[in-house]
This record gives sequence, structure tokens and C-alpha cells, in this order.
Amino acid sequence: MKAPRATSTGTTIVGCIYDGGLVLGADTRATEGPIVADKNCEKIHYLAPNMYCCGAGTAADTEFTTALISSNLELHRLSTGRDARVVTAMTMLKQMLFKYQGHIGAALVLGGYDVNGPQLYTIAPHGSTDKLPYVTMGSGSMAAMAIFESRWKKGMTREQAVELVKDAIESGVFNDLGSGSNVDVCVITKSKVDYLRNYRKPNEREPKEQSYKFKRGTTAVLTTEITSLVDIETEPSNAGASEGRA
Amino acid sequence: MLSAAGPTHAGPVRIPMEHGFSPYTDNGGTTLAIAGDDYVIVAGDTRQSEGYSINTRYCPKVFKLDNNCVLATGGMAADGQNLVRRLKQSIEQYHHVHAKTMSPSALAQLLSVVLYGKRHFPYFVWNTLGGLDADGSGWVYSYDPVGNVEKRKWACAGSAGHLIMPFLDAKIGHHHQSQIDAKTEGKPGSVPFDTAMKYTKDAFTSATERDIYTGDLLEIFVIRKSGVTVEQIPLKRD
Amino acid sequence: MAQLKPGEMNLGTTIMAVQFKGGVIVGADSRTTSGTWIANRVTDKLTQLHDRIFCCRSGSAADTQALADIVKYYLQMMTQSHGEPPRTEMAANLFQSLIYQNKDALMAGIIVAGWDKYAGPSVYSVSLGGALNKQPFTISGSGSSYIYGFCDANFKEDMTKDEAIDFARKAITLALSRDGSSGGVVRLAVITEDGVERIFTPGNALPKFWEG
Repeated sequence: MKAPRATSTGTTIVGCIYDGGLVLGADTRATEGPIVADKNCEKIHYLAPNMYCCGAGTAADTEFTTALISSNLELHRLSTGRDARVVTAMTMLKQMLFKYQGHIGAALVLGGYDVNGPQLYTIAPHGSTDKLPYVTMGSGSMAAMAIFESRWKKGMTREQAVELVKDAIESGVFNDLGSGSNVDVCVITKSKVDYLRNYRKPNEREPKEQSYKFKRGTTAVLTTEITSLVDIETEPSNAGASEGRA
Repeated sequence: MLSAAGPTHAGPVRIPMEHGFSPYTDNGGTTLAIAGDDYVIVAGDTRQSEGYSINTRYCPKVFKLDNNCVLATGGMAADGQNLVRRLKQSIEQYHHVHAKTMSPSALAQLLSVVLYGKRHFPYFVWNTLGGLDADGSGWVYSYDPVGNVEKRKWACAGSAGHLIMPFLDAKIGHHHQSQIDAKTEGKPGSVPFDTAMKYTKDAFTSATERDIYTGDLLEIFVIRKSGVTVEQIPLKRD
Repeated sequence: MAQLKPGEMNLGTTIMAVQFKGGVIVGADSRTTSGTWIANRVTDKLTQLHDRIFCCRSGSAADTQALADIVKYYLQMMTQSHGEPPRTEMAANLFQSLIYQNKDALMAGIIVAGWDKYAGPSVYSVSLGGALNKQPFTISGSGSSYIYGFCDANFKEDMTKDEAIDFARKAITLALSRDGSSGGVVRLAVITEDGVERIFTPGNALPKFWEG
């Protein structure tokens, strides 16, 4: 008997800093082995008003890890009365993942904007972190990094960064079998977050050749039997009316 | 434990590992065949992959053979190509020796024998052979890797075979269905050609949606008495 | 001793620390790998633990980052309770105990180097099993095996700052050119009583040697 296998998000997730903000990107395919489990899932998770986090690896782990840290960040904000910093979220995530020694299969790209400006981190399942101006993770990370390494430059505008992130995700979508469907983008700036869900949809299905609705009566009725489940009893009209319904 | 003279640095630690060579690999892809009263459709996608990588978006796995038969090979591409090469040689030799074209039923038997000939080191291939009988009716022969063969009216194999099979059983076999429209849907195992083409296309576009190893291009071979024609239809590339 | 777990980030690494007259230099390459994939080509493996104490990390990225975070936190607490900066030896001893007591779970080879008013400049290395050694200079990581000869031939006690920088940069360059798990840029940090000076040498500005 084999142990149940968790849904893994064979994934392309990326992040890229530009002058004045940062852009996160993700594909939207979730897989169970060779089967596409979800054609349009969300891989960019909310952490805080100024922070979002892309998740790759075991779907449940990325979902619950980000949800837990998001909750703790909310409490942290309430107790300190300040906006949480990106390093704080990063430290909470890495300490949790390190504690579980890699058994929580979450590979994350964390992006946020705080008093120190835009910041981007990757957090690997064992709890190691890297701080870089452009990052990729997931099974499509090589395809996406190829785009970054050939076209990233210092001091890009928001439009250039979004375009680059979109192309990096599309590179994963088309060249990595674990990634597919649509491109999600999230732009984080000083005071604003633009979550561009399904920013690009390069893989819309064409209409089918015909409808496959079955005609009514396709499944033959072989026998019919009607069982009466309700017995109707009539009582004298005045019974129970005087006391019971006072 | 570290000895005093042992390495004092954290280099990659070598652990005993078995380095077994596997002669087999699964290159993915899906094949399908539908036989009618006077035609056979044999189709396959052209994506060839390994793991999460695409080797190529165009590597045919459906082959026209010289005797008005079409063979679809799924599984390991190298074995499939090698098998087709051997079959083509045998068909040509048959032509020289017997001065006639090999019949589809003879080829079907030959393929079975060739596959069983490698019983203890099989070709890692799931074959589907299409051809017309002496009376002109279409038939499909489907094989397992060691030569077990079944003569059918429809078949499918490969990475999305298990997704397509129940669809074909329902739409061509009309399993558990009454009120079938004979004009468009035919009799069980005998669908009109236009309808079969629609089923083929929809089977592959649907398989492409849910199977990561199926996509890029669909190649449909149609066998009729007059010969074999090919149609290519683009599939999604993600 | 622990070994790298599947998928774990590895600091394939060449790291070193050198004592010179008046200070220490720590140096490292910048490659982090996960199998054949270079996860970070500009990694900073020189981690500042206190004003004048650094460590160089090799082995598992996750383990060494966690350790450095713990030691850094500990040194901050010590500073508050003692009212003066900690000694380099203190940091080295902390690493030693953590690594020795958790040798089954950790994969960390660490060099600690720094300046304090009692010992002046000093260099310590903590091996994978948790052995602590005080040395005038030390090299570590997978790339270090390629440069023992170079270092033994060229190291001198009480070098000037510039001589020591040159020595460290050459040594790391030689190591990363031969070791596949080391590469990228050369990062150096000079620690003296006056403070810390960081030196960055990009991959296209490394000293030239015979390349065949």
C-alpha cells in the first residue's frame, strides 16, 4: 500500500524588483502526477497588505504555510502597531520550514514593500533563504531564469518589469510540462498592490466539434416501482387545538 | 564519524548509491484509432517528452506502412521507430518474395510475432494498427508490448489512453445507452466517418486539457480503399 | 554526521579566513547549488554576527543560516548583559557547541573570524563534527582541497592588509576555477579595530592564472 500522494504544484513562480516596486508572477496549473488537477489555480498568496508570496511544491503546504504566517503577521501588526517588515515574514517562514526539516514541501517567492523599499526573497523547503533582485522557483524555474538572465537589467520601469515577468512565466508555461494555462501577476508598490489575476490567458480552449449532452431518456428505464412513504391520517378537526398551541 | 585525518570541510558527501541503467523511458503521447464500415482513422499527437521536459513538439508516432496500413506507436519513441523500421523491411521483403502486397491481417500477425520475439527484452511500445479487410471494412488491431493482439473497432493507448477510452466506449460502443440517433451516431462499432472525425478531434483536444504529456500537434491518418490521407491539427502547447 | 537531504541547498563553497597584522580577512566564493542547478550565483556567505565578528558558511544553506541566526541573537543578548562587545572566541564556542551537540542533524562547516580588544585578530574553524581549532589562517569548503598547496606556500604571518587581501583573493580564485561547486564572484571582508571594509571582485575582474 502506497502512501497517499499530495497534489504538487509543478510550477513556475518568479519575482522581479524594479525602480519603485516589485512584480510577482505565477502560472496557474496544478498537477497530480501526469494529470492536470486544476487549470486555473491561484499560486500568489496574500501575506499582509504590503506582502504577497508565490508558492511552489506541495499545494497544501504552500497554502497552509502562507495562511499561518499571514495570520501571525496580522497579530504582529496589532501588537506592535506598525506594518510588518518583509524580513519579519521571511524569518517566520524560514524558522517554520527549518523546524520541519524539509518535510513541509513549500518553496516560496516572497515579495513585499516596507520601510526599506521593495524586497524579494526565495525560501527553499529546508529553510534556506536568498535575497536577490530577480528570482525564480518551481519546476519551470530554469525556463523562467533563462528569460531573466538574458533580459533583466537594472533600473527597469514598472511596465518593463511586468512584461519581463509575463515572458518568464510564459517561458515556463510552454516549456515546462509541470506549468501551464494562465499568467497571474501581482505588482506591489509603496502604497498600492495590483493583483492582476489572469493577466494573460494564452491557452484558452477552442470550442468542441459538437455537444456531448445526452438526450433525455438515454439511460433506459427497465422497471418502475412506486413505494408510498407517506401515510396520511386524518384526525378529528378539534383534537389538540385547545392546549397544545396556546 | 570524522577521523582526525578526515576532511575538515563540508564538501558533497558521497553516499553509496546504486547506479542501475534502465534501457527504457516513457516518451509520453497518446494514440487513437476508430474503424468504420469503409475507413479507419488512426491518430496520434506529435509531442515527445521526458519527465517535465519536451524533447520536441513534432516527432510523429503514427506511420503509414507501404501496404495501406497505418501503425500508431506509443511508449518509448526509440523502440517505436526501430519497430517500424523492421516492419517496413519485412513488408518489402514479403513483396519481393511473394510478388504481392501483404494483407493487413498478415501484417497484424507479423507484428504480434515480432513483438513476442523480444519476449524477454520487450519493445516498450503500445501499438495500434489500422487497415481495411478484404471486403473493405475497417479494423483496428491493438497490442501490448509482448504481442498480445485484439481485433477491435476502436482503440486508444498512451499517456491519455485511460482518459479517452471511456469516451470511445460511450460514443462508439454506445454502452448502456438507448435512443441513439442512427443517422449521426451510427450503430455500435460503426460510426459515420464525419462523426468519427469529430470524436477524434474532441478526444485529443480534451486529453490535451488534462494530460501534461499530450499536446502540440494532432496527426490524423485516414485509410480508405483509395489510399491514405493525412490531416494535421494544432493542439495547445502548454 | 548528517548529510545533505534531497533537494537541500548546498553551499558547495570555498571559504577562508586570514589573520594579518592588525586584523583579519574573511573570504568566500558566491555559488549556492541545488544538484546541478545554481540557485544563487551572487550569494553572500560572509555573515556578520557582530560589529567585528564574521562567520563564513559552508555545507547546508538552511543549517548554516539557522545557526548563524541563533549565534547572532545570542551575541546580541551577551552584549546587553555584559556591557561590552563579545570576543571572537565566544562566537566560535557557540558554534562549536551547537554543531557538536546536533551533529546528527546538521551539515555545517564554519569559519569564525573577528577582532576583539583582548585577543586582537583571531581565526577559528569549526569542522562538521564539531571540532574547534584556532589557527592563523584557515580554508574550508569543497574548493579548499584545491588550494592547500597554494596557501601553505604563500601564507606569511603578520602580512600587511594589502598582502593579505591579495593572498585571499588569489586563493579563492584558484579554488573556484578548479572546483565545480564553487564559482561566481569573490567576496572579501576586512575586519580591523576601525571596523569592516567589504571588497567585491566580480567574475570578470579576478586575478588571471594559467588557464590551459
